[in-house]
Amino acid sequence: MANVEISATRAKSAGAKIIRYRGVIKRYGAFEALRGVDLDVHAGEVVCLIGPSGSGKSTLLRCTNGLEMTDGGEIEFEGALLPRDEKPLRLMRARMGMVFQSFELFPHLTALENVAEGPRTVLRKSLAEAKTRAAAMLAKVGLADKEANYPSALSGGQQQRVAIARALAMEPDVMLFDEPTSALDPETIGEVLNVMKVLAEEGMTMVVVTHEMTFARRVGDWVAVFDTGRIVEQGPPQQIFDAPLTERTRDFLSHLGWAG
Amino acid sequence: MDFDFAVITDHWRFLASGVGVTLALSIASGVTSIAAGLVVALARLYGPRWLRPMIVLYIDSMRAIPVLVVLVWTFFALPIVAGITLPPFWAALVGLTIHLAAYAAEIFRAGIESVRPGQTRASLALGMSRAQIARRIVLPQATVRMLPAFGSLLSITIKDTAIASVIAVPELMRQSETVQGQSFQPIEVYTFAMLVYFLILFPVTRGVDRIYRRLAHLGRS
Amino acid sequence: MNLDWSVVWLNRDALIAATGTTIMLTIATMAIAVPCGIVVAILRLYAWGPVRAAATFYVELFRNLPLILVVFWAFYVLPILTGLSLSPLATGLAALALNVTAYNAETFRAGINSIRRGQVEAAMALGMSRAQALRRVIVPQAVRRILPVLASTWVSLFKDTSLVSVIAVTELAYVAMQIRAQSFRVLEMLTAMAAIYWLLGYPQAKLVDWIQRRYNVTE
Repeated sequence: MANVEISATRAKSAGAKIIRYRGVIKRYGAFEALRGVDLDVHAGEVVCLIGPSGSGKSTLLRCTNGLEMTDGGEIEFEGALLPRDEKPLRLMRARMGMVFQSFELFPHLTALENVAEGPRTVLRKSLAEAKTRAAAMLAKVGLADKEANYPSALSGGQQQRVAIARALAMEPDVMLFDEPTSALDPETIGEVLNVMKVLAEEGMTMVVVTHEMTFARRVGDWVAVFDTGRIVEQGPPQQIFDAPLTERTRDFLSHLGWAG
Repeated sequence: MDFDFAVITDHWRFLASGVGVTLALSIASGVTSIAAGLVVALARLYGPRWLRPMIVLYIDSMRAIPVLVVLVWTFFALPIVAGITLPPFWAALVGLTIHLAAYAAEIFRAGIESVRPGQTRASLALGMSRAQIARRIVLPQATVRMLPAFGSLLSITIKDTAIASVIAVPELMRQSETVQGQSFQPIEVYTFAMLVYFLILFPVTRGVDRIYRRLAHLGRS
Repeated sequence: MNLDWSVVWLNRDALIAATGTTIMLTIATMAIAVPCGIVVAILRLYAWGPVRAAATFYVELFRNLPLILVVFWAFYVLPILTGLSLSPLATGLAALALNVTAYNAETFRAGINSIRRGQVEAAMALGMSRAQALRRVIVPQAVRRILPVLASTWVSLFKDTSLVSVIAVTELAYVAMQIRAQSFRVLEMLTAMAAIYWLLGYPQAKLVDWIQRRYNVTE
């Protein structure tokens, strides 16, 4: 079943296609997590992936930077197919930033050291250069005063912002967010979403798996609704949230209590 | 290098009796150490204040003194001090129990303390008595958590029975020494002994692993 | 009961030397068993099929054999295998090292495996290679979990050195029991032996407790 392709105008489709997913399939044993996903991500776009748990959104994200290997279809990043060998894959990963639901800061390093780790170890910058860049990124996410703190001393929202800074320090071409606020207390969700909003306004290409519908509605440029491994509907947020074209989308939104 | 394993078959009855003693001593000291360890742990947690430092001293001392020393002392020195002469098997049993009960006590204590206090609070809120809580809520969870540690202790117990050969207990190690002393074929005899010990110990550690994995969810709170 | 404790004082030189041997054996064994344990652990975790199986076999074998048997077996087999005639001390050291390496390998492997997968993923998402992720992210965290276990293994090793007495290595247990045999002062010597082990071992056990408290891992 082909994905429902909407002919509605796509705001930022003039930009280059940063990521192309074509017929992506991923299996875990007998279970098909992804059953043929087609999706484009253009430069400067914020693409939000929404849908019920287990529908494959996070799986697609993890296939994007090679943390999982696809079983069929292809993923193109900046015009080149995603390689399967470690070395070239690593080079591609360095151009993508990923933010995890569980933050995954390195507990034995301070906030500054966490953010500097990528530039230092992967980009082979000097310690001084890496630290300068790290300080700038931490300031950008509003945590300049927490440079010397260890993750255990930071709140969830602060840790996630440090995680965003860590990904940004690599100067990526796209940022992948895997349910960035799902593990946060309600009070701290806002501070993380704000940082993401600023990034979007600055023109960063972003793919965001999220349950925060308000964010998707206000900040997203394109929304893809997942269900059991396929995209059942995709389009601009106005369509998805205000005038959904499919039953599945309507069901999903009503289950969330989405009142529009 | 040529090996002649006939020496094993020639003496198999003798060696088999050794295996029997090894198993008997392992099971017996396992049971007595766990029982004694439980008593010590409960005395430490719930007994009179003045008893506690003495128990801690006993437990820490057994962490410092080798099993060999305890066994040798029990067999050779105890008769002089207390006038009781224990035959080798019983001296080994007493010595092993004294040494291992300390470890068992620590396992009990850690297991009981690891059950979340919220469990006790919830039970009290339901109106349970302390005894009921201990018996129906805390101890069952603690028991599951303690399984891996006890499995490991059982493994250590079996290995320590081999040290009892030093005080002439006719377990497998001792019997092996005797056979190789007579036949001058230490490699064959000791290789055989290694095989037997491995065949006894490996299933024990694996078995405990398996049982724990099946039951682990029962202990998580 | 007529006791003569002077036998301990009279033999103090021999006992002190023997204690030195015990301590030296412990240190030497650990000096070998820590690096070797790391190598075996890495082989078990990352090496290719047969090598990994061999490493696993080695670890499982020595964790399931009584050390005293390994000591005897080493005494008779090593000269034949290596063609060298080894002193009892070297043989004892070899047996201890073989045994403790296996335990250390398991400790290191479990420590490394206990680090959450997400940490590795975060490192790889930044573009690190497996080796870089190991070095910069996993090892520093694993060390904190490994150290308390290693300390505990050290104390066990210290006690296990007593087992090499069966092949006449002149460490504390052997020398003490020799003096007992020569002087017939059974109670005095055996109690002194226990007391010396206690004096050395008790502080070590307390140190292990301190290390475990300090490195208490809370996730």
